[in-house]
Amino acid sequence: MKILTLNCGSSSVKYQLIETSTREKLAKGSVERIGMAQSILSITTSQGKSKKITREILDHTMAIDAILQLMVDKELKVIHSYDSIDAVGHRVVHGGEDFKESCLITNEVKEKIKENFKLAPLHNPPNLRGIEAAQRVLPNKPHVAVFDTSFHSTMPEHSYIYPIPYIFYKKYKIRRYGFHGSSHRYVFSRLKSFYDKDIKELKVVTAHIGNGASMCAIKNGVSVDTSMGFTPLEGLVMGTRSGDIDPALILYIMELQELSKQEADSLLNKHSGLIGISGISSDVRDLEEEVQNNNYRAKLALDIYCYRIRKYVGAYAAALGGLDALIFTAGVGENSSYVRKKVCEGLEFMGIELDDEKNNERSKKERKISTDNSKVDIFVIPTDEEYIIAIDTEKIVKEQKE
Amino acid sequence: MKQNLIAILGTGTIAQGIAMTVARNALDVIIYDEDDENLKEALKGIEFSIDREIEKWGMTESEKRAVLSRIETTTVKADLANAAIFFESKGKSEEEKKELISNLDFISDPEALLIMTTTTISVTEVSKILRDPSRLIGLHFIHPVYKVPIVEVVKGLKTSKDTVTRTKQFLSDLGREYIEVFEYPGYVTTRVILPLLNEAMHVLMEGLATAEDIDKAIRLGFDMSMGPLALADFIGLDYVLEWLESLFKELGEAKFRPCPLLRKLVREEKLGIKTGEGFFKYDEEGKRVSE
Repeated sequence: MKILTLNCGSSSVKYQLIETSTREKLAKGSVERIGMAQSILSITTSQGKSKKITREILDHTMAIDAILQLMVDKELKVIHSYDSIDAVGHRVVHGGEDFKESCLITNEVKEKIKENFKLAPLHNPPNLRGIEAAQRVLPNKPHVAVFDTSFHSTMPEHSYIYPIPYIFYKKYKIRRYGFHGSSHRYVFSRLKSFYDKDIKELKVVTAHIGNGASMCAIKNGVSVDTSMGFTPLEGLVMGTRSGDIDPALILYIMELQELSKQEADSLLNKHSGLIGISGISSDVRDLEEEVQNNNYRAKLALDIYCYRIRKYVGAYAAALGGLDALIFTAGVGENSSYVRKKVCEGLEFMGIELDDEKNNERSKKERKISTDNSKVDIFVIPTDEEYIIAIDTEKIVKEQKE
Repeated sequence: MKQNLIAILGTGTIAQGIAMTVARNALDVIIYDEDDENLKEALKGIEFSIDREIEKWGMTESEKRAVLSRIETTTVKADLANAAIFFESKGKSEEEKKELISNLDFISDPEALLIMTTTTISVTEVSKILRDPSRLIGLHFIHPVYKVPIVEVVKGLKTSKDTVTRTKQFLSDLGREYIEVFEYPGYVTTRVILPLLNEAMHVLMEGLATAEDIDKAIRLGFDMSMGPLALADFIGLDYVLEWLESLFKELGEAKFRPCPLLRKLVREEKLGIKTGEGFFKYDEEGKRVSE
């Protein structure tokens, strides 16, 4: 089946066209700066051809139409006609408590996504705009929504209820939702190529460490806890986000510097984390370089960053009652041997032994990086959220046809 | 017509605030003034406001670059022709506004939205100069525009429903709340806040309490983020006086008669934060200094 996956932001669309039978990515690319006079449309095909066009693209409908026009373009010839696409899979950030799994998009589903706007005011509105635009361009094809939060819907109450008055949960649905669900689910599912036994028997911690970062504890094949919470601000130290802090800090700082809500929000989401501590960069690569130059604050930032991840490994091992596998994924997780080493340092007592040589190897492949003696297997598995979107879409479309 | 291009006529603080707000919401801005020096000053002013925001953690350096890259300036009116929305924020009198708006009538696309910023000037009167008066609407912003989330939408008698709807949509896109008001001097915000400021000045003049204590009592007593005297300093005492005089003249009510103490401070050019002294004293960065 040929599935078009879409990830729509307020002024961008990222897309892939995936042939699910072969896992081939027939084309991928993005439209940036939607709504501007000079929007940028790019495509790379599986044949290695690529193209970049600058033109006026005023809205998401025009953007999706432009993507498809490029795919049927005589020169690129990714597909013969729009009709070659079997279905469209949409990434939707927040499913709230309504969506425990991916689903076919109906009017009712769109209404529910709209109801969840207040939970993800930055992401859900453009996601829905993208769905409506794609339905206009491909009106006779099935459209499926895949939610970032769904994978974590299996968390037990004691993981997702916050210790604040219960009424906030009952009345406003304030609870831990977690994000990066498709990524945690994907890298976990890939373990099957490393084990003979059913991977559901494994106790696994996945660490999605990119510019945004979260960890997930997986038992019996489902998520039982995750570090991001009601919003993506909780948990790990990130490029520009603080992660866990004493919540009273922000009240104190707001009073101290007479900050508005918007300023306080921006302080924690855009000025904190690695950039806040180092004062240099939010990018782990820049900081690693600065550590070589003996930059004190760059080192401090990375120390705090890695220490937080290590604490979560310990916490989740306790939550799971043991640990069989630890997976690193996403930009930093896949590429920084420095961060992986720092995280694993001192965890030998619980059977985590990193093989330095394997850890330092640069590769795009799925690989094991622990020593043969390590009781816990450590992996680097490149993430592929689009693949999850594609296979969920295919499954739902097939079910509909039956 | 470019849907995402917004033209602004004028370079004052309100015009700067509109430019910054619009550019922060990923729209392109072109500012017009016949004097290049004014344009340079306006850009400096916008940069200063952004730097203050960064200092208060409200924005980042990369957001600053993005915002500034979206703002262009010109001394040629014809450069504005492609804009989908025009802000007139330059004319100080009805006559000046009429002249500017009648210029726009000829260079703008007939579908483009015409907005005049106003505190007292009548939209209906100004719209008479237009071939199609239905596309003019008034907006009343409060300084600092990029921070204050409320805008008053002022309909003229001829303003069309479509113009109102599009204006409201535009304000929502900018993340602004709005209220609709009828054309009447002072609208809601100015009319309700002025008697409070004026009364606080009377209380001070009568010696009931110190400026510090009056503000403290109102701030803490009624959960306001700023006391009335600090607020008057923030707005600028010259503006406060001008508005009071205008409402006193228009409405004839004693509650708008400017307090003599206000007149005295304005005469002494103690205009509030912008001159370093009003009811309180301020350093160069506009921060309060204790006496």
